[in-house]
Amino acid sequence: MTNINGKRKLYVSVIVITLFILAGIGGISCAQTRAAVQVPKFEVDPFWPKPLPNHWVLGSVTGVAVDSQDHIWIVHRGADSLGNNEKGGILKPPTGCCVPAPPVLEFDQAGNLIGHWGGPGAGYDWPQSTGGITADHKGNVWIAGAGQPEPTAGPARGTASPAKPQDAQVLKFSSTGQFILQIGHAGKAEGNDSKTGLNRPASVTVDGYANEVYVADTGNRRVVVFDADTGAYKRHWGAYGEKPDDSALAAYDASATPAKQFRAASCAVVAIDGSVYVCDRSNNRIQVFKKDGKFVKEAAISRGTLGDGAVWSIALSHEPAQRMIYVADGQDKKILVLRRDTLETVASFGDGGRMPGQFYGVGSIAVDKKGNVYTGETYEGKRVQKFVYKGASR
Amino acid sequence: MNLNRNIYIGTSLLVLLAALFIAQGLLDRTPAAQGGTAVMAPRFEVDPFWPRPLPNHWYIGMSIGVAADAQDHIWIVHRPDTVSANEAALDQKTGECCSKAPPVLEFDQAGNLIGHWGGPGQGYEWPESNHGITIDYKGNVWIGGNGTNDAQVLKFTQDGKFLAQFGHAGKNGGSNDTENFGRVAKIFVDPKANEAYISDGYLNKRVVVIDADSGKFKRYWGAYGNKPDDKSLGRYDPDAPPAQQFRNPVHCAELSNDGLLYVCDRVNDRIQVFTPAGKFVKEQWVAKRSLSDGSVWDIAFSKDPQQKFIYLADGRNEKVYIIQRETLEVLTSFGDGGRQPGQFYGVHSIATDSKGNIYTTETYEGRRLQKFVYKGLAPVTKEDQGTPWPAAGSK
Repeated sequence: MTNINGKRKLYVSVIVITLFILAGIGGISCAQTRAAVQVPKFEVDPFWPKPLPNHWVLGSVTGVAVDSQDHIWIVHRGADSLGNNEKGGILKPPTGCCVPAPPVLEFDQAGNLIGHWGGPGAGYDWPQSTGGITADHKGNVWIAGAGQPEPTAGPARGTASPAKPQDAQVLKFSSTGQFILQIGHAGKAEGNDSKTGLNRPASVTVDGYANEVYVADTGNRRVVVFDADTGAYKRHWGAYGEKPDDSALAAYDASATPAKQFRAASCAVVAIDGSVYVCDRSNNRIQVFKKDGKFVKEAAISRGTLGDGAVWSIALSHEPAQRMIYVADGQDKKILVLRRDTLETVASFGDGGRMPGQFYGVGSIAVDKKGNVYTGETYEGKRVQKFVYKGASR
Repeated sequence: MNLNRNIYIGTSLLVLLAALFIAQGLLDRTPAAQGGTAVMAPRFEVDPFWPRPLPNHWYIGMSIGVAADAQDHIWIVHRPDTVSANEAALDQKTGECCSKAPPVLEFDQAGNLIGHWGGPGQGYEWPESNHGITIDYKGNVWIGGNGTNDAQVLKFTQDGKFLAQFGHAGKNGGSNDTENFGRVAKIFVDPKANEAYISDGYLNKRVVVIDADSGKFKRYWGAYGNKPDDKSLGRYDPDAPPAQQFRNPVHCAELSNDGLLYVCDRVNDRIQVFTPAGKFVKEQWVAKRSLSDGSVWDIAFSKDPQQKFIYLADGRNEKVYIIQRETLEVLTSFGDGGRQPGQFYGVHSIATDSKGNIYTTETYEGRRLQKFVYKGLAPVTKEDQGTPWPAAGSK
């Protein structure tokens, strides 16, 4: 009974694929196809996570991650993204409910809040507006500073903080919130040739095999790679593996020649086989690279989508071969399920709305060891949701 | 890390205080419980999967009215115009989702959408800003409006056929006008007298009673039964002497089976009780220190014949209070701020069906219709129950 629309689409996709197999179109052998079209199924868990303590509420959620213990981490924008009428507990005098939760929250598998920290401190530049979060192979937590807050349609922010310097940094903390490392500096955005600076990076991930951190350096139209311990620059590249540049891009047009630059590089995720998947959000595409930045291929996703674009963030499926890619499509308010080998969209789930399993501004996504999917919603979605993995079937 | 330490210290203090508070509460209640007179109140659990997802990628805006009809169908009115461009991307042709749903939606008990209509049409003035929905004893649907120029109420059949309009947009003449209203919040229809009680409103400071067929004004009054006065009352101060007038908005006026009218004086954080003739009976503050948009948003009566309980939606503190109607004492509450099932952001309107289930709608960015399943009477163990999840869900 959950997620009727999503399921319906899923079934439709499955039926289409089944017909495809029966017709034997495309010259693909049945055995290969059967193995490849196993589509994962999900059901929303409306009671995950458990209610927060202390009348805490979430602001716009900008990042979600799963660590090696299958704990779920989120980062959200807190008070700056909450209207006065939902943060009455911190107004002077207090007017009523509620209180912004600390920016970084850690949940266990049962949905209990087991850790919380974050915010300005000595020795680092806490972002004026957070981006993605990741938990690396050593148990540390990285957060991107994504620059200007997302536009929102909500009520007047009232007590929004005074202007802060533009974000141009990523931060590394221990899992208990102890500051470890910062790459780049707030208010000191550097250009797309910089080996030390960034410009509104949307997200950060760590390649544990090489101990390298990949930054989707959105404002610089590039992916940039640093040593995960020292923060030392290693390499960077733009769309198609070319040199990034700041030349003006015409407005996105589905029928035009694909842009030669990233329009909004919003994720860079390394797969087990060394492929690097880059979200080019408002170009509606995923570009695939080798770790050295050599371009491999690309795929258009929801090509007709305008506005914020379709490819906000991705996560890889949990099985060793990582056969699937899950794409958080915040503009179309759903999760797309892609085959990683062909980058074909084989299913999707979700729809717009405020009920469980629906989305508004779904912009971040992560997968745990059991295959469950977690999503974070920005704008006025302001939720983390769990989708329970129900196995794969044709 | 100083900040963290401070947070921890602050949290520890809060926990201590909460523990003391709870301990005190237990001490207070123990004698009653021992005497076998535990306070009983209705208990509710949220149904996270009601209603079913809307068809057509429809998406609702601020939801500012809910009602149950004689067949236990649930009706809501919302404001499609509040759906932003990036939510209505299908309408904008910038994406696959979503499209603004029609303003009036009808659901069956299973949560299926079975009817939808509303919007401007011939012969009537659709409100600039929809507000409040009621199904009267003849099965007709009443709608108010709190837009700048809204001074009218509308009556339709359940199919959306226009029946009557009382008052005219832009014609507000203040709280002593006998032809127009001032940004009406809600309507209640008394079947015995065929009279409509108008919560009037966001501009006027009164309750108006009209003939439900002809719309003819019969009587009206302000707080304490006083003649309404539109003079500014300034800001609500919980420590000042009680205001002698309603503050805007007058947000509900509901008549009980035994003939008492309960009026939501939202920003004054109080319920005032009247006879149908407008004679003041008594009043009660709820969450009296609530500021800004106030605590007393909307009420519904429990479904037992005596209507022993009042359910009060408080969109400022994001909860529903369960109040003993006879004493107007708050027995307990459920809900909290948040976007998960059973939590609220701007819980605005409340209704009950014949089975005793509660339905709420949320305005602001809450924008949901939620159902809370009636689970019978249970001893009150907590003043604040928090998010009302089923036992299996919250374990």
